[in-house]
Amino acid sequence: MLIFSRYTWWVGAMLGFAVFLTAAGQVGVLHPVQGAFLVVTRPAEELLTSIFRPMAGFLSDAGAISDLREENRRLRLENEELRTQSISLQTDAERVKQLEEALKISQGAANERYLAANVVHRDSSAFTDVISIDRGSNSGVRVGMVVLSSQGSLMGTVTEVFASRSFVRLITDSKSKVAAQVQSSQADGIVKGAANRTLTFDLAQADIKVGDIIVTSALTGRYPAGLPIGKVTDVGGTQQDLFRKVTLEPFVRLSTASTVLVQTSFIPQNLLEAGD
Amino acid sequence: MKALLVGAALLLAALGQTAVAPLFPLSAAVPDLCLVALVLVVVFGGPREAMVAVPVVALTFAFASNRSPALALLAYLPLLPLAYYLEDGRVPLNRFAQTLVAAVATGAWARLALALGAMADGAAPQPGILVAGILVPGLMLDLLMVTMAYLPLRALGVEPRALEIPRSRYGWS
Repeated sequence: MLIFSRYTWWVGAMLGFAVFLTAAGQVGVLHPVQGAFLVVTRPAEELLTSIFRPMAGFLSDAGAISDLREENRRLRLENEELRTQSISLQTDAERVKQLEEALKISQGAANERYLAANVVHRDSSAFTDVISIDRGSNSGVRVGMVVLSSQGSLMGTVTEVFASRSFVRLITDSKSKVAAQVQSSQADGIVKGAANRTLTFDLAQADIKVGDIIVTSALTGRYPAGLPIGKVTDVGGTQQDLFRKVTLEPFVRLSTASTVLVQTSFIPQNLLEAGD
Repeated sequence: MKALLVGAALLLAALGQTAVAPLFPLSAAVPDLCLVALVLVVVFGGPREAMVAVPVVALTFAFASNRSPALALLAYLPLLPLAYYLEDGRVPLNRFAQTLVAAVATGAWARLALALGAMADGAAPQPGILVAGILVPGLMLDLLMVTMAYLPLRALGVEPRALEIPRSRYGWS
Protein backbone atom coordinates (compact mmCIF):
# COMPACT_ATOMS: atom_id res chain seq x y z
CA MET A 1 0.00 0.00 0.00
CA LEU A 2 1.02 3.58 -0.57
CA ILE A 3 1.09 4.34 3.11
CA PHE A 4 3.84 1.75 3.59
CA SER A 5 5.67 2.67 0.40
CA ARG A 6 9.06 4.30 0.07
CA TYR A 7 7.37 7.58 -0.74
CA THR A 8 6.05 7.88 2.79
CA TRP A 9 9.34 9.21 4.10
CA TRP A 10 9.52 11.70 1.26
CA VAL A 11 6.00 13.04 1.91
CA GLY A 12 6.88 13.32 5.59
CA ALA A 13 10.07 15.17 4.75
CA MET A 14 8.20 17.57 2.48
CA LEU A 15 5.59 18.26 5.16
CA GLY A 16 8.40 19.01 7.57
CA PHE A 17 10.01 21.25 4.97
CA ALA A 18 6.67 23.09 4.54
CA VAL A 19 6.54 23.71 8.30
CA PHE A 20 10.12 24.98 8.18
CA LEU A 21 9.28 27.29 5.26
CA THR A 22 6.30 28.67 7.15
CA ALA A 23 8.42 29.38 10.22
CA ALA A 24 11.21 30.86 8.10
CA GLY A 25 8.71 33.07 6.30
CA GLN A 26 7.28 34.30 9.60
CA VAL A 27 10.66 35.45 10.89
CA GLY A 28 11.67 37.00 7.57
CA VAL A 29 14.54 34.64 6.74
CA LEU A 30 13.18 33.98 3.27
CA HIS A 31 12.86 37.66 2.30
CA PRO A 32 16.51 38.24 1.32
CA VAL A 33 16.60 34.86 -0.44
CA GLN A 34 13.53 35.79 -2.44
CA GLY A 35 15.02 39.21 -3.21
CA ALA A 36 18.18 37.61 -4.59
CA PHE A 37 16.11 35.12 -6.57
CA LEU A 38 14.10 37.93 -8.16
CA VAL A 39 17.28 39.78 -9.15
CA VAL A 40 18.84 36.68 -10.71
CA THR A 41 15.73 35.60 -12.60
CA ARG A 42 14.72 39.06 -13.77
CA PRO A 43 16.34 38.82 -17.25
CA ALA A 44 14.68 35.46 -17.94
CA GLU A 45 11.33 36.75 -16.76
CA GLU A 46 11.61 39.88 -18.88
CA LEU A 47 12.57 37.76 -21.88
CA LEU A 48 9.53 35.52 -21.41
CA THR A 49 7.25 38.52 -20.99
CA SER A 50 8.63 40.29 -24.06
CA ILE A 51 8.07 37.17 -26.17
CA PHE A 52 4.65 36.13 -24.99
CA ARG A 53 2.91 39.42 -24.19
CA PRO A 54 2.70 40.49 -27.86
CA MET A 55 1.57 36.96 -28.70
CA ALA A 56 -1.18 37.13 -26.10
CA GLY A 57 -2.19 40.54 -27.40
CA PHE A 58 -2.31 39.19 -30.93
CA LEU A 59 -4.43 36.21 -29.97
CA SER A 60 -6.70 38.48 -27.99
CA ASP A 61 -7.18 40.80 -30.95
CA ALA A 62 -7.59 38.00 -33.49
CA GLY A 63 -11.07 37.22 -32.29
CA ALA A 64 -12.46 40.47 -33.64
CA ILE A 65 -11.89 42.87 -36.47
CA SER A 66 -8.46 44.07 -35.60
CA ASP A 67 -8.80 47.67 -36.79
CA LEU A 68 -11.97 48.24 -34.81
CA ARG A 69 -10.44 46.73 -31.73
CA GLU A 70 -7.36 48.89 -32.02
CA GLU A 71 -9.50 51.94 -32.45
CA ASN A 72 -11.63 50.89 -29.51
CA ARG A 73 -8.57 50.52 -27.33
CA ARG A 74 -7.23 53.92 -28.34
CA LEU A 75 -10.58 55.54 -27.70
CA ARG A 76 -10.85 53.85 -24.31
CA LEU A 77 -7.50 55.26 -23.31
CA GLU A 78 -8.43 58.71 -24.51
CA ASN A 79 -11.79 58.43 -22.80
CA GLU A 80 -10.19 57.37 -19.55
CA GLU A 81 -7.71 60.21 -19.73
CA LEU A 82 -10.40 62.78 -20.39
CA ARG A 83 -12.65 61.36 -17.70
CA THR A 84 -9.78 61.36 -15.24
CA GLN A 85 -8.98 64.97 -16.06
CA SER A 86 -12.62 65.90 -15.72
CA ILE A 87 -12.96 64.14 -12.36
CA SER A 88 -9.76 65.65 -11.13
CA LEU A 89 -10.92 69.13 -12.11
CA GLN A 90 -14.31 68.61 -10.49
CA THR A 91 -12.72 67.32 -7.30
CA ASP A 92 -10.27 70.19 -7.18
CA ALA A 93 -12.99 72.75 -7.84
CA GLU A 94 -15.15 71.28 -5.11
CA ARG A 95 -12.28 71.26 -2.65
CA VAL A 96 -11.26 74.82 -3.48
CA LYS A 97 -14.84 75.95 -3.10
CA GLN A 98 -15.18 74.32 0.32
CA LEU A 99 -11.89 75.70 1.55
CA GLU A 100 -12.64 79.18 0.34
CA GLU A 101 -16.09 79.13 1.86
CA ALA A 102 -15.19 77.61 5.20
CA LEU A 103 -11.64 78.68 5.89
CA LYS A 104 -11.04 81.61 3.59
CA ILE A 105 -7.79 80.11 2.34
CA SER A 106 -6.66 79.10 -1.09
CA GLN A 107 -5.24 75.72 -1.97
CA GLY A 108 -1.58 75.53 -2.83
CA ALA A 109 -0.33 73.88 -5.97
CA ALA A 110 -0.06 70.13 -5.75
CA ASN A 111 3.47 68.83 -5.50
CA GLU A 112 2.95 65.25 -6.49
CA ARG A 113 5.75 62.96 -7.62
CA TYR A 114 5.36 59.76 -9.57
CA LEU A 115 7.67 56.93 -10.51
CA ALA A 116 6.98 55.12 -13.77
CA ALA A 117 7.32 51.32 -13.65
CA ASN A 118 6.76 48.42 -16.01
CA VAL A 119 4.51 45.51 -15.13
CA VAL A 120 6.71 42.41 -15.06
CA HIS A 121 4.12 39.80 -14.33
CA ARG A 122 0.57 39.38 -13.20
CA ASP A 123 -0.71 36.75 -10.78
CA SER A 124 -4.36 36.62 -11.53
CA SER A 125 -7.02 34.15 -10.49
CA ALA A 126 -10.60 34.40 -9.28
CA PHE A 127 -9.39 35.34 -5.81
CA THR A 128 -6.07 37.07 -6.34
CA ASP A 129 -5.04 39.91 -8.59
CA VAL A 130 -1.44 40.88 -8.00
CA ILE A 131 1.15 42.37 -10.33
CA SER A 132 4.86 42.85 -9.89
CA ILE A 133 6.67 45.92 -11.16
CA ASP A 134 10.32 46.47 -12.03
CA ARG A 135 10.93 49.10 -9.34
CA GLY A 136 11.75 48.49 -5.72
CA SER A 137 13.36 49.99 -2.66
CA ASN A 138 16.36 51.12 -4.72
CA SER A 139 14.00 53.48 -6.53
CA GLY A 140 12.28 54.69 -3.37
CA VAL A 141 9.24 52.43 -3.47
CA ARG A 142 7.81 51.57 -0.04
CA VAL A 143 5.09 49.27 1.19
CA GLY A 144 1.72 51.05 1.22
CA MET A 145 2.46 53.43 -1.64
CA VAL A 146 -0.37 54.00 -4.06
CA VAL A 147 -0.09 52.75 -7.65
CA LEU A 148 -1.94 54.48 -10.49
CA SER A 149 -2.50 53.79 -14.14
CA SER A 150 -0.62 55.91 -16.64
CA GLN A 151 -3.80 57.99 -16.89
CA GLY A 152 -4.05 58.53 -13.14
CA SER A 153 -6.76 56.06 -12.05
CA LEU A 154 -6.20 54.02 -8.90
CA MET A 155 -4.80 50.56 -9.62
CA GLY A 156 -3.66 49.26 -6.26
CA THR A 157 -1.23 49.39 -3.37
CA VAL A 158 2.33 48.19 -2.93
CA THR A 159 2.31 45.17 -0.59
CA GLU A 160 5.87 43.89 -0.72
CA VAL A 161 9.13 45.55 -1.74
CA PHE A 162 12.47 44.09 -2.77
CA ALA A 163 15.55 45.90 -4.06
CA SER A 164 14.45 46.10 -7.68
CA ARG A 165 10.99 44.55 -7.62
CA SER A 166 7.72 45.28 -5.89
CA PHE A 167 4.43 43.44 -5.67
CA VAL A 168 1.21 45.41 -6.02
CA ARG A 169 -2.21 44.23 -4.89
CA LEU A 170 -4.73 45.51 -7.43
CA ILE A 171 -8.05 46.96 -6.30
CA THR A 172 -9.82 43.96 -7.88
CA ASP A 173 -8.00 41.50 -5.59
CA SER A 174 -10.42 39.88 -3.14
CA LYS A 175 -8.40 41.20 -0.20
CA SER A 176 -8.39 44.80 -1.39
CA LYS A 177 -10.39 47.41 0.54
CA VAL A 178 -10.21 51.09 -0.38
CA ALA A 179 -11.83 53.97 1.50
CA ALA A 180 -13.85 55.79 -1.11
CA GLN A 181 -16.70 58.20 -1.65
CA VAL A 182 -19.30 59.10 -4.21
CA GLN A 183 -17.90 62.15 -5.93
CA SER A 184 -21.21 63.98 -6.26
CA SER A 185 -22.65 63.38 -2.79
CA GLN A 186 -19.40 62.67 -0.95
CA ALA A 187 -21.06 59.71 0.79
CA ASP A 188 -18.34 57.54 2.25
CA GLY A 189 -18.02 53.81 1.67
CA ILE A 190 -15.54 51.05 0.96
CA VAL A 191 -14.59 49.74 -2.47
CA LYS A 192 -13.87 46.02 -2.19
CA GLY A 193 -12.36 43.63 -4.65
CA ALA A 194 -14.62 40.65 -5.26
CA ALA A 195 -14.24 37.23 -6.82
CA ASN A 196 -13.55 37.15 -10.56
CA ARG A 197 -11.85 40.54 -10.51
CA THR A 198 -14.94 42.64 -9.95
CA LEU A 199 -15.43 45.69 -7.75
CA THR A 200 -18.20 46.36 -5.24
CA PHE A 201 -18.93 49.50 -3.24
CA ASP A 202 -20.29 49.20 0.30
CA LEU A 203 -22.03 52.25 1.65
CA ALA A 204 -24.84 52.69 4.16
CA GLN A 205 -28.10 54.37 3.21
CA ALA A 206 -27.04 56.92 0.69
CA ASP A 207 -28.43 57.90 -2.66
CA ILE A 208 -26.41 56.34 -5.42
CA LYS A 209 -27.22 55.71 -9.05
CA VAL A 210 -25.72 54.13 -12.13
CA GLY A 211 -23.11 56.41 -13.63
CA ASP A 212 -21.96 57.93 -10.35
CA ILE A 213 -18.21 58.40 -10.10
CA ILE A 214 -16.37 56.84 -7.16
CA VAL A 215 -13.11 58.38 -5.98
CA THR A 216 -10.73 57.64 -3.11
CA SER A 217 -11.31 59.14 0.31
CA ALA A 218 -8.61 60.31 2.69
CA LEU A 219 -10.61 58.93 5.60
CA THR A 220 -8.24 56.12 6.58
CA GLY A 221 -5.07 57.97 5.65
CA ARG A 222 -4.04 55.19 3.31
CA TYR A 223 -5.00 56.96 0.07
CA PRO A 224 -4.89 60.54 -1.09
CA ALA A 225 -8.34 62.01 -1.66
CA GLY A 226 -9.91 62.27 -5.07
CA LEU A 227 -8.16 59.57 -7.08
CA PRO A 228 -10.62 58.17 -9.63
CA ILE A 229 -11.52 54.51 -9.04
CA GLY A 230 -14.49 53.69 -11.22
CA LYS A 231 -18.04 54.26 -12.30
CA VAL A 232 -21.18 52.69 -10.84
CA THR A 233 -22.58 50.17 -13.31
CA ASP A 234 -25.26 48.47 -11.21
CA VAL A 235 -27.19 49.24 -8.04
CA GLY A 236 -29.07 46.35 -6.44
CA GLY A 237 -31.68 46.34 -3.69
CA THR A 238 -34.12 49.10 -2.75
CA GLN A 239 -33.89 52.49 -1.07
CA GLN A 240 -35.01 50.85 2.18
CA ASP A 241 -32.05 48.46 2.29
CA LEU A 242 -29.36 49.35 4.81
CA PHE A 243 -26.63 48.19 2.45
CA ARG A 244 -27.28 48.20 -1.27
CA LYS A 245 -25.29 46.07 -3.65
CA VAL A 246 -23.30 48.44 -5.81
CA THR A 247 -21.05 47.21 -8.63
CA LEU A 248 -18.31 49.33 -10.14
CA GLU A 249 -16.40 49.29 -13.37
CA PRO A 250 -12.81 50.45 -12.90
CA PHE A 251 -11.70 53.28 -15.14
CA VAL A 252 -8.48 51.53 -15.99
CA ARG A 253 -8.32 48.21 -17.85
CA LEU A 254 -6.33 46.44 -15.19
CA SER A 255 -5.72 43.33 -17.28
CA THR A 256 -3.85 45.09 -20.06
CA ALA A 257 -1.87 47.77 -18.24
CA SER A 258 1.84 47.43 -18.93
CA THR A 259 3.04 50.70 -17.39
CA VAL A 260 2.02 52.08 -14.01
CA LEU A 261 2.84 55.08 -11.84
CA VAL A 262 3.87 54.79 -8.20
CA GLN A 263 2.89 57.91 -6.28
CA THR A 264 6.04 58.42 -4.24
CA SER A 265 4.95 61.77 -2.81
CA PHE A 266 2.14 60.24 -0.75
CA ILE A 267 3.12 58.34 2.38
CA PRO A 268 0.23 56.45 3.99
CA GLN A 269 -0.72 57.56 7.49
CA ASN A 270 0.10 54.18 9.05
CA LEU A 271 3.69 54.43 7.78
CA LEU A 272 4.02 57.99 9.06
CA GLU A 273 2.75 56.91 12.48
CA ALA A 274 5.18 53.99 12.48
CA GLY A 275 7.96 56.48 11.83
CA ASP A 276 9.07 54.41 8.91
CA MET B 1 24.40 17.95 -18.39
CA LYS B 2 20.98 16.33 -18.50
CA ALA B 3 20.31 17.44 -14.94
CA LEU B 4 21.26 21.01 -15.83
CA LEU B 5 18.92 21.02 -18.81
CA VAL B 6 16.07 19.61 -16.76
CA GLY B 7 16.77 22.16 -14.01
CA ALA B 8 16.72 25.02 -16.51
CA ALA B 9 13.48 23.74 -18.02
CA LEU B 10 11.88 23.53 -14.57
CA LEU B 11 13.03 27.06 -13.75
CA LEU B 12 11.60 28.34 -17.02
CA ALA B 13 8.32 26.55 -16.32
CA ALA B 14 8.04 28.13 -12.88
CA LEU B 15 8.90 31.58 -14.21
CA GLY B 16 6.54 31.05 -17.13
CA GLN B 17 3.81 30.24 -14.64
CA THR B 18 4.00 33.80 -13.35
CA ALA B 19 5.09 35.67 -16.49
CA VAL B 20 3.32 33.82 -19.30
CA ALA B 21 0.43 31.65 -18.07
CA PRO B 22 -1.72 34.57 -16.81
CA LEU B 23 -1.66 35.97 -20.36
CA PHE B 24 -3.67 32.96 -21.59
CA PRO B 25 -6.57 32.48 -19.16
CA LEU B 26 -9.61 30.27 -19.58
CA SER B 27 -12.36 31.82 -17.46
CA ALA B 28 -10.57 32.51 -14.17
CA ALA B 29 -8.13 29.61 -14.53
CA VAL B 30 -4.70 29.79 -16.10
CA PRO B 31 -2.55 26.97 -17.53
CA ASP B 32 -0.44 25.34 -14.83
CA LEU B 33 3.00 25.10 -16.42
CA CYS B 34 4.55 23.99 -13.14
CA LEU B 35 2.21 21.01 -13.03
CA VAL B 36 2.94 20.07 -16.64
CA ALA B 37 6.70 20.25 -16.04
CA LEU B 38 6.41 18.15 -12.90
CA VAL B 39 4.22 15.56 -14.62
CA LEU B 40 6.83 15.19 -17.35
CA VAL B 41 9.60 14.76 -14.79
CA VAL B 42 7.56 12.20 -12.83
CA VAL B 43 6.68 10.18 -15.92
CA PHE B 44 9.85 10.42 -17.98
CA GLY B 45 12.47 11.39 -15.42
CA GLY B 46 11.97 8.85 -12.70
CA PRO B 47 11.37 8.92 -8.94
CA ARG B 48 14.61 10.46 -7.69
CA GLU B 49 14.41 13.35 -10.14
CA ALA B 50 10.76 13.93 -9.25
CA MET B 51 11.54 14.01 -5.52
CA VAL B 52 13.94 16.88 -6.13
CA ALA B 53 11.88 18.61 -8.79
CA VAL B 54 8.70 19.02 -6.71
CA PRO B 55 10.20 21.24 -3.97
CA VAL B 56 12.42 23.09 -6.46
CA VAL B 57 9.51 24.02 -8.72
CA ALA B 58 7.25 24.86 -5.79
CA LEU B 59 9.83 27.17 -4.24
CA THR B 60 10.67 28.82 -7.55
CA PHE B 61 7.01 29.43 -8.32
CA ALA B 62 6.37 30.78 -4.81
CA PHE B 63 9.31 33.19 -4.95
CA ALA B 64 8.44 34.44 -8.42
CA SER B 65 4.76 35.01 -7.61
CA ASN B 66 5.21 36.08 -3.96
CA ARG B 67 2.99 33.28 -2.70
CA SER B 68 3.52 31.19 0.40
CA PRO B 69 6.31 28.65 -0.32
CA ALA B 70 4.76 26.14 2.08
CA LEU B 71 1.39 26.39 0.35
CA ALA B 72 2.99 25.99 -3.09
CA LEU B 73 4.83 22.90 -1.84
CA LEU B 74 1.66 21.38 -0.42
CA ALA B 75 -0.15 22.17 -3.68
CA TYR B 76 2.12 19.94 -5.79
CA LEU B 77 2.95 17.37 -3.13
CA PRO B 78 0.30 14.73 -4.06
CA LEU B 79 1.54 14.28 -7.64
CA LEU B 80 4.32 11.78 -7.02
CA PRO B 81 2.58 9.50 -4.46
CA LEU B 82 -0.57 9.55 -6.56
CA ALA B 83 1.30 8.64 -9.74
CA TYR B 84 3.01 5.81 -7.87
CA TYR B 85 -0.29 4.56 -6.47
CA LEU B 86 -1.83 4.47 -9.95
CA GLU B 87 1.22 2.79 -11.44
CA ASP B 88 1.26 0.19 -8.69
CA GLY B 89 -1.61 -1.53 -10.43
CA ARG B 90 -4.46 -0.56 -8.14
CA VAL B 91 -6.35 1.06 -11.01
CA PRO B 92 -6.62 -0.71 -14.37
CA LEU B 93 -5.44 2.11 -16.64
CA ASN B 94 -2.69 2.42 -19.22
CA ARG B 95 0.22 4.76 -18.54
CA PHE B 96 -1.21 7.70 -20.47
CA ALA B 97 -4.52 7.48 -18.63
CA GLN B 98 -2.68 7.15 -15.32
CA THR B 99 -0.70 10.28 -16.16
CA LEU B 100 -3.85 12.22 -17.00
CA VAL B 101 -5.60 11.12 -13.81
CA ALA B 102 -2.60 12.03 -11.64
CA ALA B 103 -2.20 15.39 -13.40
CA VAL B 104 -5.87 16.35 -13.23
CA ALA B 105 -6.26 15.31 -9.60
CA THR B 106 -3.10 17.15 -8.55
CA GLY B 107 -4.09 20.19 -10.64
CA ALA B 108 -7.49 20.33 -8.98
CA TRP B 109 -5.91 19.96 -5.55
CA ALA B 110 -3.30 22.64 -6.34
CA ARG B 111 -5.91 25.15 -7.49
CA LEU B 112 -8.11 24.34 -4.53
CA ALA B 113 -5.22 24.70 -2.08
CA LEU B 114 -4.09 28.03 -3.53
CA ALA B 115 -7.68 29.36 -3.57
CA LEU B 116 -8.28 28.20 0.01
CA GLY B 117 -5.00 29.86 0.96
CA ALA B 118 -6.24 33.12 -0.55
CA MET B 119 -9.53 32.77 1.34
CA ALA B 120 -7.73 32.04 4.59
CA ASP B 121 -5.72 35.18 3.92
CA GLY B 122 -8.83 37.36 3.70
CA ALA B 123 -10.47 36.79 0.33
CA ALA B 124 -14.24 36.38 0.40
CA PRO B 125 -15.30 32.70 0.15
CA GLN B 126 -17.06 32.10 -3.17
CA PRO B 127 -17.47 28.33 -3.66
CA GLY B 128 -19.53 28.75 -6.83
CA ILE B 129 -16.83 30.75 -8.57
CA LEU B 130 -14.16 28.43 -7.20
CA VAL B 131 -15.82 25.46 -8.92
CA ALA B 132 -17.16 27.08 -12.10
CA GLY B 133 -14.42 29.63 -12.65
CA ILE B 134 -11.31 27.81 -11.50
CA LEU B 135 -11.65 24.06 -10.98
CA VAL B 136 -13.66 23.09 -14.08
CA PRO B 137 -11.76 25.26 -16.61
CA GLY B 138 -8.54 24.31 -14.84
CA LEU B 139 -9.33 20.63 -15.31
CA MET B 140 -9.80 21.16 -19.04
CA LEU B 141 -6.58 23.16 -19.28
CA ASP B 142 -4.64 20.48 -17.42
CA LEU B 143 -6.01 17.73 -19.68
CA LEU B 144 -5.11 19.73 -22.76
CA MET B 145 -1.64 20.79 -21.64
CA VAL B 146 -0.56 17.39 -20.35
CA THR B 147 -1.83 15.69 -23.51
CA MET B 148 0.01 18.23 -25.68
CA ALA B 149 3.23 17.61 -23.77
CA TYR B 150 2.96 13.82 -23.28
CA LEU B 151 1.96 12.56 -26.71
CA PRO B 152 4.74 14.26 -28.76
CA LEU B 153 7.38 12.92 -26.36
CA ARG B 154 5.97 9.40 -26.69
CA ALA B 155 5.87 9.84 -30.47
CA LEU B 156 9.55 10.76 -30.34
CA GLY B 157 10.25 7.48 -28.60
CA VAL B 158 10.78 8.74 -25.04
CA GLU B 159 9.80 5.91 -22.69
CA PRO B 160 8.01 6.40 -19.37
CA ARG B 161 10.03 5.30 -16.35
CA ALA B 162 8.86 3.18 -13.48
CA LEU B 163 8.23 4.93 -10.18
CA GLU B 164 9.17 1.93 -8.06
CA ILE B 165 12.26 2.79 -6.03
CA PRO B 166 14.78 -0.09 -5.96
CA ARG B 167 14.84 -1.65 -2.48
CA SER B 168 18.61 -1.78 -2.29
CA ARG B 169 18.98 1.95 -2.91
CA TYR B 170 17.34 2.95 0.34
CA GLY B 171 17.45 -0.29 2.20
CA TRP B 172 14.09 -0.05 3.91
CA SER B 173 10.38 -0.66 3.43
